[in-house]
Amino acid sequence: MTTIKNWALALLKSFHALKDENLLWEQNNQEQRTRLKHTQILAAKTLQAQLKKKSVILEHELTLLRTSNDAKVAMLKTKCKQDIKDYKEYLNSLETLKNSIQNSFDHLPEAVAFTIHHHAKQLLNQMWETDNFEHKIHHELQLIKFMTTIHEDTHRHLEEGTSSESIPEKTLRLIQNKPTF
Amino acid sequence: MIIRIALILTFAALTLFISADILLLLTIPKLSEMITQLGLVTLLSAFSLLVIIGLLTISKLIGSSCIIYFSAGQRLQRRLLFILTKQQQLKQLFYFKKEQIHYVTEHTRKRLLVADNRQQIKTLSTAISNDLKSLKHQLPRNHFLQLQKENIQCREQQDIEALIQLQQKIATIHYT
Repeated sequence: MTTIKNWALALLKSFHALKDENLLWEQNNQEQRTRLKHTQILAAKTLQAQLKKKSVILEHELTLLRTSNDAKVAMLKTKCKQDIKDYKEYLNSLETLKNSIQNSFDHLPEAVAFTIHHHAKQLLNQMWETDNFEHKIHHELQLIKFMTTIHEDTHRHLEEGTSSESIPEKTLRLIQNKPTF
Repeated sequence: MIIRIALILTFAALTLFISADILLLLTIPKLSEMITQLGLVTLLSAFSLLVIIGLLTISKLIGSSCIIYFSAGQRLQRRLLFILTKQQQLKQLFYFKKEQIHYVTEHTRKRLLVADNRQQIKTLSTAISNDLKSLKHQLPRNHFLQLQKENIQCREQQDIEALIQLQQKIATIHYT
């Protein structure tokens, strides 16, 4: 019975010793713990401030991006509308050109007038469909040259009053020497 | 601490069950029955205590998670993520809007081109038809019918190049 009592007492003693040790450790490290807690709170506050600042910057960027995107889309829409208008005008002017050829060269077979018109339209489409800027410029120059030649031919024909059997030679030569790019 | 109490209660219940068995062996049934009842109550309280601890821990965890979730830092981080995602969305939307505008423009241009081609083909085909009519008596019937058929076929196939060639062929016949 005494042995059990001694064991129980020893166990209680060791439990109390452990508690004392724990209290002592807490007393010794209290200052450090407080400091650490303070630093932790400070770091959290700094992080919050940084996040807030970043979120304000990002929100500003978002607004800018939205405005710039809207402006770009509006510009693109206007440009595309203008492109369509230009294309329509090109087609109309080609039609006018064909009519003027037919009117100037009375005896010119319909096929020749249509071939000239078809060739001009091909040049126009090549110019329109290419994505390469250099190629686009090249095709545009070709088209302008072609249309100028037609004008020259019709003008010369009307001015010189050459025979009614004449044909737009320069234009047809240009079609025959169709350049490739 | 509470877990310790629950464990002590479980051990106490087990001890009580063992003592009840011993008492049963010693043929003291009444006391054994009482001790068994006591053991059962003890075991039940131990388990109830464990369940309560579990529930308390879970609610504590839920509470602390909620506090962290709604804390200023976490809220700000979520806000940042939201803005970044919104920026990405805007960039994607801009790209698709651009693609849409290009597609619509190209489609409109092609429609214009098709309409113009159709008009040219119609005019050329009418001209060919008129030429053929003027040559009707000079050409053998079969040849005339063949040329007329070609004209209709080319017009239906919307083949302007073939129509031009046909017109050239007719013009050659006309001049010879």
